Amino acid sequence: MTDLARPPATTPARTHPPTRVRAGRLGAGVAVGVLAAAVAACLLAPLLWPLDQSAVDLARTRLAPSPDHLAGTDDLGRDVALRSLYGLRVSLLVGAVAAGVATVVGGLVGAVAGTLGGRLDRALMRVVDTVAALPHLLLGIFVVAMLRPGLGAVIASIGLTHWLSTARIVRSELLSLRTRPFVDAAISGGASRTRVLTRHLLPHVLPRLALATTLMVPHAVWHETALSFLGLGLPPHLASIGNMINDGQRSLLTGAWWASIVPGLLLVAVTLALAVLTGRWRDRLDPRVRAELHL
Amino acid sequence: MTVTTDDTVHGAAAGGLAARRVTVAYGRQRVLDRVDLHIAPGETVGLRGLSGSGKSTLARVLALLHAPDSGHVTIDGHPVGGARHRLPAALRTRVAILFQSPRSATDPRLSLADLIAEPLRATGASRDQASARTADLADLVGLTPDLLARRPHAVSDGQLQRACLARALVHRPDYLLCDEATAMLDASTQAHVAAVVTDYQRRSSAGVLLITHDPALMSRWATRVVDLPTP
Amino acid sequence: MTTTVPTDTRRAHALLGVDGLTVRFHLRGAVVHAVTDLSLTLHPGELLAVVGESGCGKSVLAHALLGLLPRNATVTGRAHLHPPDGHPVDLIDAGERHLTRHVRGRAVGLVPQSPATALTPVRSGRRLLEETLRAHGHTRRAAPAAADRIAADVGLDPGDLDRYPHELSGGMAQRLATALALAPDPPLLLADEPTTGLDRPLVDHTLDLLRRRCDTGAAVLLITHDLTAARRVADTVAVMYASRIVEHRPTAALFDAPAHPYTAGLLDALPDRAFTPVPGHPPMLTDLPDGCAFAPRCPRATDACHIPPRLLPDGAGRVACHHRLTPGAPA
Repeated sequence: MTDLARPPATTPARTHPPTRVRAGRLGAGVAVGVLAAAVAACLLAPLLWPLDQSAVDLARTRLAPSPDHLAGTDDLGRDVALRSLYGLRVSLLVGAVAAGVATVVGGLVGAVAGTLGGRLDRALMRVVDTVAALPHLLLGIFVVAMLRPGLGAVIASIGLTHWLSTARIVRSELLSLRTRPFVDAAISGGASRTRVLTRHLLPHVLPRLALATTLMVPHAVWHETALSFLGLGLPPHLASIGNMINDGQRSLLTGAWWASIVPGLLLVAVTLALAVLTGRWRDRLDPRVRAELHL
Repeated sequence: MTVTTDDTVHGAAAGGLAARRVTVAYGRQRVLDRVDLHIAPGETVGLRGLSGSGKSTLARVLALLHAPDSGHVTIDGHPVGGARHRLPAALRTRVAILFQSPRSATDPRLSLADLIAEPLRATGASRDQASARTADLADLVGLTPDLLARRPHAVSDGQLQRACLARALVHRPDYLLCDEATAMLDASTQAHVAAVVTDYQRRSSAGVLLITHDPALMSRWATRVVDLPTP
Repeated sequence: MTTTVPTDTRRAHALLGVDGLTVRFHLRGAVVHAVTDLSLTLHPGELLAVVGESGCGKSVLAHALLGLLPRNATVTGRAHLHPPDGHPVDLIDAGERHLTRHVRGRAVGLVPQSPATALTPVRSGRRLLEETLRAHGHTRRAAPAAADRIAADVGLDPGDLDRYPHELSGGMAQRLATALALAPDPPLLLADEPTTGLDRPLVDHTLDLLRRRCDTGAAVLLITHDLTAARRVADTVAVMYASRIVEHRPTAALFDAPAHPYTAGLLDALPDRAFTPVPGHPPMLTDLPDGCAFAPRCPRATDACHIPPRLLPDGAGRVACHHRLTPGAPA
């Protein structure tokens, strides 16, 4: 029977939580550990590590991992482990700021479309559809090409291509909230347009918006990596994961796999951990998963 | 109790909330077709009709929440143009509406006290004024201070509907529209809600619209019953 | 039709025997007493209505019997189900897997509260119904005919069966949801507020469906706040107050001569009776008084009410009150 066989919004009361829940908790624990370790290493690396990440030492190029160089050195003799941590710092910073830019742009467009509705809404949504029809990366490359290369260009490129989903989320949330009887009740009680928006609509949208932003960070980090890998991102002297993978591919053929694999794996681990945690958060926001008390 | 299908006998009497040849369509489907209804101050008009006959839509039109496609609403003989935010707050607050499901009619983030005070705060009352009036109303509808501090998910449907009733009365409306407002409530809470409304009506001579499927409730509460034909 | 509330001697033939069922919800800093020491028996062909005000715990009872409670709930007591053609099962102790495979839908059907949200929107009524039938042993060839038959049973036109849930009116959706619950032919049906939001003809139709189901041998547990609905179809009515059954007796007896002051108060609140509310407020389920939970609102309360009254046989029914209204059989 359909309505009985639905996945348990409410799970049985008796003994222990089901396996799925325990696995989820374990995953979240691992994710927290990975993130905490990565962030701590990024912040503390300059203090604890006696090496300079950009120090070129042509006498010690492409050294295999050893106690001196935990992840070996690259083709310019730079320490890969240390440089990866610096790279991660830059990548996460770019990812977070770019996600913030995308959220502000998307949030504003979505709020205007969802609140005012009508012709303006239709026009804005056609713009969203048009931009969404273009390949992200191509558009990103175009934006970078238009601006002076550097950190700002990369952030702009990501911010301007990633706001679409945020705009759609905010708009649809607002549209569905607007028809709810509690908004009718507020209007009937004399609330102004502004008060309905600030007091009754936005507080419901903000958690979703925050979630969308967090989910976007890993995406933005990968976008930055892709741009840098193509040589269109950050300047080569700046350690970023994308630059390192790009540099490292030259060493791959000579057998020095560590120069691109190590930063790559670090990026995978950190973005995966972020995605796992935001996934858990989303589950908690979802009223179907949240155990509710019906009396 | 008199049953009338034709409402014109009450005419455009000076006082009252009225729908005049109101038509509402969603897409091609006509939900209301040139409907007339008049609620005089002090009377309780029972509105009957099958599911889908547009009772709730008519209530929303009368509550100034939905502009009819043709026809209009009049208050005290003056036609009202538009609905929702096109109208000044002072006009909107003259008509209050009580919905069937208190759950969907309340913002889950606000405590019951904030829910009741919200219309006052929205129209510029100070925190002290609002909380004093909230306390009075809570007492009237039978909500204890302990309940007022709770959020909707921590109270029962009956308690939440009491809070909605308090919120509806907060601006001392001239008209109160009850759209199946007691359908989800047990007999005791229903009788209490009816008693509070009737008492308010006696003191303020407000007009009440009562939409209900329950014939016993209709004949006990309504002073006049109108049948809404299915379009 | 059962005319007396079954006593222990008939328990052997019972379909459902609930014994000492207690449900607690653990919240931060509080315990919700949702169901307390609830016992009842249900026989094939019997329609039992559980009535009470919102928040008295009656809905939790249905969820507990289906094992659909949130994680912060603890359940104690027993609920033995004896399906006529299957193994007896304790609904409280059975594992999730057993409940899914053998109990929910098959042995215990649920008529949901809001059919509009309980129906999968992307399948037509016919597909929903045929899927359900095939999941319960009908062959691919036999399913369509059976679907038509069941649809006709609940008063649904075979043509309407081909529509999608959003194309159905509230009443048709309710009939479809009922048809889905009836399709596996479960010996026990739980109906949790099945008539909320329906207009009178549809309420009556839904209730009559449940009644007919009983008359063909199933048992129905109807949970409702609507006394008029209970009166129309129930064999016996159990009144719940503050997590406990306070009175349980044959329908006519309950409505004509209630023994518990709360039942009397609830009946007096009906619009075709005195239309006066029960004075006072129900207690918080997180903070129940030690003695009789109704005593603070009760016109007959005395010092004796500090001792919690037990649910004891009284004439043809059971009452939990030290000062019952009718001179029933001695406790």
